[in-house]
Amino acid sequence: MELTKNITLGVYLPGRSFIHNLDPRTKILAAAGIIVLLLFTRSYSAFALSAIFIGALVSLSGIPTGYALRGLKPMLPVLAIMWVFQLFLFKTPDATVYFHWWIFEATDAGLHMGNLIILRVLFLFTVTTFLTLTTSVVSLTDGLESLLKPLRMIGLPSQELVMTLVIALRFVLILAEELEKIIKAQMARGVAFDRGNFIQKTRKIFPVFLPLFIGAFKRAEELIVAMDARSYTGGKGRTKMKTLHMGRADFMAALILLAYGGLLIFIIISTKPMI
Amino acid sequence: MPIEVINLSHSYKEGTPFEKQVLFDINLSISAGEFVGIIGPTRSGKTTLAQHFNALHIPRQGKVLIDGLDTKDKQADLVSIRHRVGYVFQNPDYQLFAPTVGEDIAFGPLNMKLPREEIEDRVRKAMAQVGLDYKTLYNRDIFALSGGQKRRAAIAGVLACKPQVLVLDDVTAGLDPRGREEILTLIRELHRRQNITIIFISNSMDEVASMAERIIVINEGRVIMDDATREVFARIEELRSIGLQLPEVTVLIDKLRSAGFNLPAGALNVNEAIRVITAALREMEARK
Repeated sequence: MELTKNITLGVYLPGRSFIHNLDPRTKILAAAGIIVLLLFTRSYSAFALSAIFIGALVSLSGIPTGYALRGLKPMLPVLAIMWVFQLFLFKTPDATVYFHWWIFEATDAGLHMGNLIILRVLFLFTVTTFLTLTTSVVSLTDGLESLLKPLRMIGLPSQELVMTLVIALRFVLILAEELEKIIKAQMARGVAFDRGNFIQKTRKIFPVFLPLFIGAFKRAEELIVAMDARSYTGGKGRTKMKTLHMGRADFMAALILLAYGGLLIFIIISTKPMI
Repeated sequence: MPIEVINLSHSYKEGTPFEKQVLFDINLSISAGEFVGIIGPTRSGKTTLAQHFNALHIPRQGKVLIDGLDTKDKQADLVSIRHRVGYVFQNPDYQLFAPTVGEDIAFGPLNMKLPREEIEDRVRKAMAQVGLDYKTLYNRDIFALSGGQKRRAAIAGVLACKPQVLVLDDVTAGLDPRGREEILTLIRELHRRQNITIIFISNSMDEVASMAERIIVINEGRVIMDDATREVFARIEELRSIGLQLPEVTVLIDKLRSAGFNLPAGALNVNEAIRVITAALREMEARK
């Protein structure tokens, strides 16, 4: 019973690659750019290009591809359900019907819509995970803070927002560990989490949530005390030990991204969308 | 109910860049009715090994036989194994999850699908065994308990399943001396009166020395000693070299020996130490 094994979102895998060493702002902006482009991607060939590009980035970073994709594993059942829903429920007037059962119709439009949604979720997840895998929490915080600084002028508490975001990210793993402990404790007294089919397993998960939430609140309170103990007062007057610098590598990364973006936009415009 | 561990190895986060092997080729067997202590430095693999004893961990390499049942076997009734091998976790906060004391203790028996009266009876008895007052504490909020009471409640929750083997993972940590003595007395009684096999993991060498009949020493995921308590604590230098704190009396006798007193090594508790020291003193008197 190891839940944390399949959690990659929010995990940092230290390394010395070109990507690890980029300025966090470059990586955050790049991830944001790639994600925005993905939202406009509607053709199989454009998705293929994205897959090649992201695959190249992953291999450049030295992170094992299997590990980069591992976080998707727990999501597969949910994705499968989404796909089935789209297949049967999404329709266009001119769609070709593959087969018909009771009030449900599987059409080519539904098939493509299902594929589109799943591809999008997969890509979004992989890009975000890749960002956290190659960027430590500290530099992620610094990068986001620096990027959001201009928003302070309109009264947005950027430092606090980033702190909240980073804590949330950390809690993904903490909650998974907590969940693992509760499941173990219940298993030790006779709940068979490791037996039964998907539905039976899902039902056994519910009694785990109450202690999980209580544990999460307790953790949050401890965190507040710990932050108070170190005189955390928010962003005001805070200085940085490490200052961020953009270098040649960041310039190169920007060029590569622009080339990718241009090519992708060209493909998106020139190819027929899947739906 | 014998437990047999054969060529067991275990890694955490297998198949990820964070993979770490914590157990290396462990072989041991524990017979019914034994009182075994497991000691070793922190992060040596004690807890991981112990969680194989009730199938909380299923071996990837090697196997664990509990009462002859292979925990790897897909057909094996793991739930029944886990009821027969009770496990008290290191931290009671990880173990207690129901809102009230009564509900938490009843959790195990409830999963065994026992009749209502039987469950109530078991909860009442388990609470009495660990010294929790049924009337005042049955409906008490778990979070309103003191550290010592949480420990007791955690043990009661396991005892309510009527295990034949009890694995206790450092259950006296954080207790005051009196609470500690009460818990230790309870454990001794469970072993003596009900003949429950006890597997006692502890970081307190004094406790292990005075409680266990046999000791398994683990270091960096390997069993380095597995012998009668007296034999293990006679190997003072080896235990020191892996960073274990020795029982205070053992250290005292060792110091006296190196100061030139003619004493037998390996006294395990205060009474024994008194005996050997007075015997030696008498001998010295007589020689004068």
